[in-house]
Amino acid sequence: MALQKPPTHALPSTGRRDPGSIVQGASALVWVPQAALLAWAVQRLADGGGLAGVLVPAAAFLLLGLVRATAEAWGARRVFAAARAQLSTLRAQAAIALASRSPMDPARPASGMAASVIAEQAEAVVPYLVRYQPARWRAMVVPLVILPVVACLSWMAALVLLLAAPLIPVFMALVGWRAKAASEAQMVEMGSMNAFLLDRLRGLGTLRALAAVDATADRLSESAQSLRTRTMAVLRIAFLSSAVLELFSAIGVALVAAYIGFHLLGSLQFGTWGHRLSLAEGMFILLLAPAFFEPLRELSAVWHDRAAGEAALESLAKLSLGGVPLPGAQTPVSAIVDTRSPPSLHLRGLHFAHPGQTSCITGLNLHVAAGEHIALTGASGSGKTTLLSLIAGLLAAQQGTITVGGVHVSDTTVAALRTRMVWMGQKSHVFAGSVRTNVALGRAGVDTTQVEAAIHFAALDNVAQAQVGVALGEGGTGLSGGEAVRLALARVAVHTSADIILVDEPTAHLDTETAERVADALLSLARGKTLIAATHDPVLAARMQRVVQLDAVQAREVA
Amino acid sequence: MKIWRDLRPVLLPFIAAQPGQLALGAGLATLTVLMGMGLLGLSGWFITATAYAGLATTTALAFDVFMPSAGIRLLALGRTASRYAERLVTHDATFAVLATLRVRLFRGWAQPDAARALLARPSRLLFRLTSDLDALESLYLRILVPALAAFGAALLAGIVAGVMRPYMGVLLALWLIVAGWGLALVVAYRARTAAVRRARSIEALRAHAVDLVAGQTELVMAGRIDAQRDLLAATDRQLAGADLALNRLESGASMGYSLIGTLTLVAVLLAAGVLVGEGAIGAPAAALMLLVALTATEPFAALRRGAVESGRTWLAARRLAPRLATSGLETSPAVAPSPGTAVQLENVVAVHPCSPSPVLHRVSLHVAAGERVALIGPSGAGKSTLMAVVAGELAPREGTVQAQQHCLLTQRTELFQDSLRDNLRLANPSADDARLWRVLHSAGLQADVAALENDLATPLGEGGLGLSGGQSRRLALARLLLRDVPLWLLDEPTEALDPLTAHDVLQRLAIHADGKTLLIATHLRREAELADRLLCVREGRIVADLHRGEPAFEAALATLRPD
Repeated sequence: MALQKPPTHALPSTGRRDPGSIVQGASALVWVPQAALLAWAVQRLADGGGLAGVLVPAAAFLLLGLVRATAEAWGARRVFAAARAQLSTLRAQAAIALASRSPMDPARPASGMAASVIAEQAEAVVPYLVRYQPARWRAMVVPLVILPVVACLSWMAALVLLLAAPLIPVFMALVGWRAKAASEAQMVEMGSMNAFLLDRLRGLGTLRALAAVDATADRLSESAQSLRTRTMAVLRIAFLSSAVLELFSAIGVALVAAYIGFHLLGSLQFGTWGHRLSLAEGMFILLLAPAFFEPLRELSAVWHDRAAGEAALESLAKLSLGGVPLPGAQTPVSAIVDTRSPPSLHLRGLHFAHPGQTSCITGLNLHVAAGEHIALTGASGSGKTTLLSLIAGLLAAQQGTITVGGVHVSDTTVAALRTRMVWMGQKSHVFAGSVRTNVALGRAGVDTTQVEAAIHFAALDNVAQAQVGVALGEGGTGLSGGEAVRLALARVAVHTSADIILVDEPTAHLDTETAERVADALLSLARGKTLIAATHDPVLAARMQRVVQLDAVQAREVA
Repeated sequence: MKIWRDLRPVLLPFIAAQPGQLALGAGLATLTVLMGMGLLGLSGWFITATAYAGLATTTALAFDVFMPSAGIRLLALGRTASRYAERLVTHDATFAVLATLRVRLFRGWAQPDAARALLARPSRLLFRLTSDLDALESLYLRILVPALAAFGAALLAGIVAGVMRPYMGVLLALWLIVAGWGLALVVAYRARTAAVRRARSIEALRAHAVDLVAGQTELVMAGRIDAQRDLLAATDRQLAGADLALNRLESGASMGYSLIGTLTLVAVLLAAGVLVGEGAIGAPAAALMLLVALTATEPFAALRRGAVESGRTWLAARRLAPRLATSGLETSPAVAPSPGTAVQLENVVAVHPCSPSPVLHRVSLHVAAGERVALIGPSGAGKSTLMAVVAGELAPREGTVQAQQHCLLTQRTELFQDSLRDNLRLANPSADDARLWRVLHSAGLQADVAALENDLATPLGEGGLGLSGGQSRRLALARLLLRDVPLWLLDEPTEALDPLTAHDVLQRLAIHADGKTLLIATHLRREAELADRLLCVREGRIVADLHRGEPAFEAALATLRPD
């Protein structure tokens, strides 16, 4: 099978912009004519015009205000919808990559990690796209529009603005550098305080058993206080950068106001293009001054979104990397396999090694007759689980062939062949949902009566958690070891049409009574079917028709 | 009011933790906003006044430029300083409050019932806890602080307008507060359902992702892996629906604030027109009024995000409240039995929270001091429940429990993210290094620890050193040895260990258990052999009480799983 190409996480490039973000950016510029209208209105008031004098500017201001508010909202919604769709695509890509990777791949991400990335961390992508990217764009465009407008009226005022923001790129780098430190310090603070609490809560059983609850609460408090002191030391310096930004913007506004004031007063004659500014022109420049700095302040406020968003994109890309592929992951179930009689299995010249490890199966040949029950034994690491996985098509052998009932296991046939197999792993996963959904697993063609029969067969019906309305798994209550084994048995029992049963260590860590009941149940389910059980348990092995010692079987034919 | 009832248990301890700092932070935030308004308002007044004065040379010379320009400089510097102080104080106060809340939450979760609930479903509750704590942060930073700062802005605008015409000032302030806070309240109210739906969808998404990865084998074998991906995608669509609903509200709120700002400015402009027309005020005062009105609505817009997120904050408050409400006191200290008795149970009936029928039926048990007793029986017979009752982790529904001071060795060894020394000292905070080395020696871990570069200071747990199964068990044994208690409760102490290590650990246990009372729950022969008395537990009852030397004792041992 062709290795799946790791999906690339293309983000909208800054060159091609969505109309939403353009409208959103442009609406910020509506302030320029609005400021002109206000300045004009003040001029008319100064000229002695009363209510009549301000009616026209007020009406025009209102109209532009409506346009601005509407455009901003429309743009914001469009940008958000695009960003949200992007997040869905990223999540789907990660899910496909995870589902196409072999469950036996040792380098596969842990479920808890994958779930935190997909569910929680990925959420940071949207603020990054919705807040940071447009803010960055505005910070580049808005000052560049305002500056020439101001310069047209007064080069001196424009110079003040330019000097107050020394060189915008340098300023932005300064903002980024310190804002980054601040947001990192804050994330570390929050993260490690939460981690400490979660770590202790996870081990609460032990803490209670050791009567260490009070001591731990004191440690929690102490470490939170010391962490707070250290973080504040970082923040005291990091916040200076935004204080500098504030200072420049406040001084910029103050200098512009002072210059215009003295200019209007006649004390400062220079700084314009030959004529004295009117009140309206002076007021217009004053109203534009804060708007010149606003995008920069906005940008420093959303810096945290950038750090979190980029980290999320990186984690998602990591999840989407290919690993050991799952055979047949991209092939829909096609062939219908004849299942009238239990199949025989032929394994010829099998070789398998996990990437970067020494081979655990070398030249294995094995024949299992139709309806035969065999036990696979051997020391840990002899490849019992790997062999079961190869038969089930959860891993692809590097060499050799497996035929099941005359059908060669390959990418195209494996999905169809799996429909006649049933798998009981060492530790069965308990899904979020009721006991019934956990037994049926959504298999096609399994009705309620079959589920009830399977639950009854596995004696799950008097388990407390099997009550209607009780959820299991993530977010639900757990099952005890014995109950988990009974659930696994019920899953085997419900799939009545399967005629190959693959079982991995079904009696490990069980008491003798429970182990015996499990063996009884398995043998009754396997009547007339092919059963392959990997086991350490000599009692279970003795109940099989044949025991295959895996270390000994390598590279030689077993009759 | 329902929302107040839900918020109160969180809000009160939140505020009580750092009342001074929190108030100072909010005050500084308000001051920053007021200075920003003052800066622009004064500048507008100054420009207009100078334009007037500049019309004639005489007035220009008489104009006092010193006061206003000094005021502008002062406000510019003052705003910077107060903004810096505000950020420091609000952050420091939030960290301090959250630190206090974490300790309270920890104590709340450590109560026996809460602890049991937590251990039964750790993944969901712990995940929720993190996101709930993060959501609480916005209560202060995004709701309380901007609400107060906006209130200050409305008052200042009202005062400035009130100087010209008192009724205008009152109207302006009232309008700003009613419209600004009102919009935030409407948005908060309408965002509640979507915010809760969003929080739940993220939890569902997480559960489906866990199922996809951890249950991949089962799903692949059942031909359901694509169905699981579809489920994940469908949940993401649901989440997207909630996200879009919240975004509609947020962009609507932002449009609302933008319109409130425009309307306020237009109304103030018209009012200024009237006042100037009447000759009541001059153009400079009109400019001051306009610019103050222009800046007065800005702080209200900062409430927008807090309002949209308030549904999540409310959910967090509702979920954390029960854990915050509990006092730090442990409930029902174990009743000490009469001298010579280690454990005394009378007609104990125990029930698990979600189970309809009792797990223990009228169990009575007497264990004399110094006895070594093993509870044996198949899984689900009630051994662990009986241990939990003796340990005081589960309160019986009926009957009485008396037990000596004890220590429970749980099935799993928890390593905490801490140094090896502090992992050990959990069991006995006063133990010195010499004592720690002695117990490590007794537990057979001394050589392993001495071989570590930082020996006792080696960090353990996530991100630190992992220990093998055998080493962790020995660490647990060392912790047990540090506890000076007469009764040891051992729950399957060597389960999942290889026989060689298991026997060594058991032998060490036996040596150091001299003079102690042992109660062991087990289904393994090697562990039961430690005991001189076997109690066979079956379906919640003790069905046999066998002593070493009796033929039935050996017979019962023989039914247990050998190595």
